[in-house]
Amino acid sequence: MREVVDSDILRQGSFEFIRIHEQSTYTLELFMAYDSIIIDSGNRDFVEKLVRAVRTHNQPDVYLKPIFLLKSSKVEDPLIGNLIDGVIFSINQLEIIADYVRQILLRINDFVFAKSISLEAEVISRIIYLMVSRDKNELFAYLYLNSGLGYVYPEASIYFTPRDEHKLLNVMKTAEIEGLFTSEFNDRIYLCTNCETGILSYREVCPKCSSANSKAEDLVHHFSCAYVGPISDFQNAIDDELNCPKCNKFLNHIGVDYDKPALLHTCNKCGHKYQDYHVKAKCITCYHDNDVENLIPRTISNYYLTKKGRNIAYHGFISTSKDFNEIPGTVKFDVFKTMLEYEVERLKQNDATSNIAYLKISNAGELYSRIGIDRQKTLVTEMIKILRKNLRSSDFIAFYNASTLILSLNEIPTKIANNVLDDVVKLTATLLKKNFRNIEIEIDHHAQPLNTELSHEIQLQNLIKKFDQDA
Amino acid sequence: MDFIAAEIDYFFSYISEVGTGKLIRIFWFFVIFEFARLFVIDFLALIFIYVKRKLTKKKRKEARRLLFLYNPLISIIVPGKNEGKNIYKLVSSLKEQTYRNFELIIVDDGSDDNTEQICKSLKRNGMIDVFIRNEVRGGKASGANTALRVAKGDYIVHLDADSSLDRDAIEQIILPFYEDDRVGAVGGNIMVRNYNDSLATILQSFEYNDAIGIGRMVASYLGVYRIISGAFGAFRTDVLQKVHGWDIGPGLDGDITVKFRKLGYKIVFEDRAVCQTSVPNNFKKLTKQRLRWDKSLIRFRLRKHKDVFIPNENFSILNFLSFLENIFFTIGLNLKWYFYIIDMLVNFPGIVGMIIVMNFFLYSCSNALKLMVFNFFRERRNSPIYIYFPFIPLMVIYHGYYLRIVRSIAYLKELFFKSSYKDAWNPEKTSSKAKQIGI
Repeated sequence: MREVVDSDILRQGSFEFIRIHEQSTYTLELFMAYDSIIIDSGNRDFVEKLVRAVRTHNQPDVYLKPIFLLKSSKVEDPLIGNLIDGVIFSINQLEIIADYVRQILLRINDFVFAKSISLEAEVISRIIYLMVSRDKNELFAYLYLNSGLGYVYPEASIYFTPRDEHKLLNVMKTAEIEGLFTSEFNDRIYLCTNCETGILSYREVCPKCSSANSKAEDLVHHFSCAYVGPISDFQNAIDDELNCPKCNKFLNHIGVDYDKPALLHTCNKCGHKYQDYHVKAKCITCYHDNDVENLIPRTISNYYLTKKGRNIAYHGFISTSKDFNEIPGTVKFDVFKTMLEYEVERLKQNDATSNIAYLKISNAGELYSRIGIDRQKTLVTEMIKILRKNLRSSDFIAFYNASTLILSLNEIPTKIANNVLDDVVKLTATLLKKNFRNIEIEIDHHAQPLNTELSHEIQLQNLIKKFDQDA
Repeated sequence: MDFIAAEIDYFFSYISEVGTGKLIRIFWFFVIFEFARLFVIDFLALIFIYVKRKLTKKKRKEARRLLFLYNPLISIIVPGKNEGKNIYKLVSSLKEQTYRNFELIIVDDGSDDNTEQICKSLKRNGMIDVFIRNEVRGGKASGANTALRVAKGDYIVHLDADSSLDRDAIEQIILPFYEDDRVGAVGGNIMVRNYNDSLATILQSFEYNDAIGIGRMVASYLGVYRIISGAFGAFRTDVLQKVHGWDIGPGLDGDITVKFRKLGYKIVFEDRAVCQTSVPNNFKKLTKQRLRWDKSLIRFRLRKHKDVFIPNENFSILNFLSFLENIFFTIGLNLKWYFYIIDMLVNFPGIVGMIIVMNFFLYSCSNALKLMVFNFFRERRNSPIYIYFPFIPLMVIYHGYYLRIVRSIAYLKELFFKSSYKDAWNPEKTSSKAKQIGI
């Protein structure tokens, strides 16, 4: 082993690259001081271990660090290939990659890193940071033997152990529901009912004892005497001729002397004879023998980052809307949409004014990071309490995301609705000041009247567009 | 009716004039063969059976104890084509059996309907133990032999798919093996399930109750029982394997029984093992079935197993008598009946009308007597006896004319044209081979 020495620090223009060998001793935090990492090794295991360690580090300064592989050939492993930023064949090529490193670092400079309140949100935001920093839009699944699913999403699977990789599918589903990714079908996989991993060994087994130790033989029907038995009954040890064990005649011609009406399996363990074997799938991970009809089907999709998803990198992603679904005083976003639809319909019959509005914590990334994960939910809960006190019970609230609330303020003039929101903002700011010193909260709000000529969907989209623009 | 009444009046005045000797001369066929064989001998045999049963009650009880003690595995085999619709009913009746240690093996002999799907579904639900689907039809014998090859039981019970069993039928059909270890096979008691369907079915039900059921009880008692019905029969597996299972049909039920007999095993009929089955519901189908049955008598008794009549080292007097009785009461009596008609036409041309009416009357009385008397000896009935009374005269036509004519046609066709080999009941590929080698 040798320590990182001066000769391992490479300079190209204003950038410093650190070169890591198999023999190098280092800590991951050391990489913060450099602009990029050069791995000088042809050992696949070493490279994978190091790349995984960097990309799963908890500091963005480490996990987003550009990594290059100094190697004489192309990388074929999809996991390593997608987690590094390129391959150089000689140190002399630093000049070529310097510009690419610059672009990555510039993008990272613009990112807002907010602490997420759930594992799901954390994983989603890290995937997005990595993708956006590399200007990537696609998150593809690759067939991969060492993955717990049989497929690997290089930028995402690394956060899970092979046994837990199935959880990634749920995370990506949430990300899709949040509108951060779109997906297209790639493949269908089946997972073990016990541990939800996907590396399974499929076997034809005896329907009685589930043993795979069986022999398959043709059944032979001899026309002359109606004898029926497996072909081994007709075979002898001396020659290749077939003799009937019942009438001792030669079987010369299939279709004339005999036929083979069926194929029969004989279990070598329990002796059971059967035609229709069962198919069982033995899990390579937990050894559970699954009935194939009970396996858990999952879809493997390729994902594409949306504009909303890309914006996450610049605003932070604190939580998924799922994290706030259970906060009292709010309804789920889907329910909100349905209620809004009814409200628009109701307004068509009544001469009244109702409004939709939003309240957005514009510095949520910074704010949430400072108050810590535990108190984020408390803050949000308190804010909802203030809102509920100042609103009527006929008004309804939903989380659009962790920093934005959507409201329907019914049967009040728009001006008054905006005044109410003003009051709420002030009260929230006061509350925050009381509890968190030196922390400022910035809340944008806007209320607009519901238009009976437009569908609730369009009006909602217009509102979302508005606060996205404001951001 | 006036004509019949006049003929009966004439008959009574005639007998008062001619005396008993002349009467026997005129009605010899009825007196010697029909009444003596089918009533007197049967009646006496039934009394003996009744007494024997009373005396061997303990033996039967011990046999039952042994059966449940040893608890042997029974393989119930059901070969068939396009029988899917009947399988569920059969499986349901098997679920109710008092004897539980059995495996059910269904062989689908190349069905072209949904039999395969039905059976696979029943198998998935654990109601069938082994299901084998033969993609091409091989015939009843090959289906049964397929099942035999995979069977693991000590006894094989062969069932037709359209059968259903009494709750204790499996137990009852196996008990004779434990009463006497020389028993190689046991025939079950077939009753007609669809007796109410049509005239054809009620006449067959009458026939199964009387001629077939009682006839087999008596034949079994006398040691000349010769056919184990494919609808419900039990066999010792080791013996079945020794004879390599069933040979090509039609008539394989009778053939397998002969093969067992030739090895010296006793064949018995067990009237307490009851199976219900559906019989042909019109005379066209019935005629086809009976032609097939009757042709097999010529093919198997007179051709394939003619060695039974040859006194060699394998000669068995019981087998000889069984064959002789069978041939005499079927082919012999059939020929004698024609001889009787000619006798009457030649020797008594003036009283033929009276003879026909009187024979009709005598046979009806005999049938009524048998129906009532034999009913006391039946331990199990599937229909009330009174429903048969209106059909007693029709049974004379059914037995005396219809079945005789069908039998005659079958014998002639088989004797001169070997037409059983053309029967579509068996696939052509096997029938042509059987014909080629003369079995």
